[in-house]
Amino acid sequence: MKNLLFLWVFVSIPIFGQKYYTKTGVTEFKASVDTFEPIKAVNNSTSVILDVSSGEIASLLFVKAFNFRVGLMQEHFNENYMDSDRFPKATFRGAFENFDFSEFSESTTYHLQGTLTIRGVKKDIETITTFSKKENNIMMQASFVVRPEDFQIKIPKIVRNKIAKTVNIHLNYVLVEKK
Amino acid sequence: MFLSKKNKLTLLIVLAITSIGFSLYKYSLKPPIKISHKKVDFVGSASELLNKIQQEGTLWQDKVVIISGKITKLDSQGMIISPNIYCQFQDSLFSKTIQLNDAISIKGRVIGYDDLFEELKLDQCLIQ
Repeated sequence: MKNLLFLWVFVSIPIFGQKYYTKTGVTEFKASVDTFEPIKAVNNSTSVILDVSSGEIASLLFVKAFNFRVGLMQEHFNENYMDSDRFPKATFRGAFENFDFSEFSESTTYHLQGTLTIRGVKKDIETITTFSKKENNIMMQASFVVRPEDFQIKIPKIVRNKIAKTVNIHLNYVLVEKK
Repeated sequence: MFLSKKNKLTLLIVLAITSIGFSLYKYSLKPPIKISHKKVDFVGSASELLNKIQQEGTLWQDKVVIISGKITKLDSQGMIISPNIYCQFQDSLFSKTIQLNDAISIKGRVIGYDDLFEELKLDQCLIQ
């Protein structure tokens, strides 16, 4: 029995590697054209887990937790475009290429590849991510671009000129070690 | 008055149109309703809420709840109320007014069940 426990401890280390996480990550998007009212929103409650031994990352956010400045815009976003009663979550799973946590310094960039799922539709995403370390926390920043039609979001003709063809997504996460 | 009847009428119509236009404009740009002004859909203990959500999860999205329970984890951004409800504070100053293992009652908005951390997530939490 003792041997078995010993084995279990050793075998489990590489599988359950060191992890960093946040539950309050900031995910922003902007889809503004030069209209009188900018179309942008912030989600302050994105969950992220980064496995620093393998470079794998998983994140999840709730679409209804995107905060807009204008209430009506938020309502339309949830009801007409994102259908967030049916698809409450957006998720991302991916991995950083040649990720090496021991080489982390002031500012390190890694190539991120993964799958973004919005409204149940999957799309592959590639982007560059900037990492930095600050007081035992990992700061992580990245941006990428998606298009509404990638996720089968139909934009009515009447507002087509007010919403940008491409949507910029910006991530800003402060990850703390999971103990 | 020096205005003729016709001019008075025109003035009135112009005023009416501008005020309707202005109020429509104001209405369309209203910020989202603050949680302190929203109606509460559930009052009870944390575990009661979890039971209800396990039965019919999707109905509870975006609902405002008041829950009570014990704080089992606490940081500047939020806390975990026993057994597994994560409450993100409206204001990070709240973390200074409470302590681990305190029994607490909070008002917050249900945003959903987080599969990554296996806990229910609330945001905009206010201490009651």
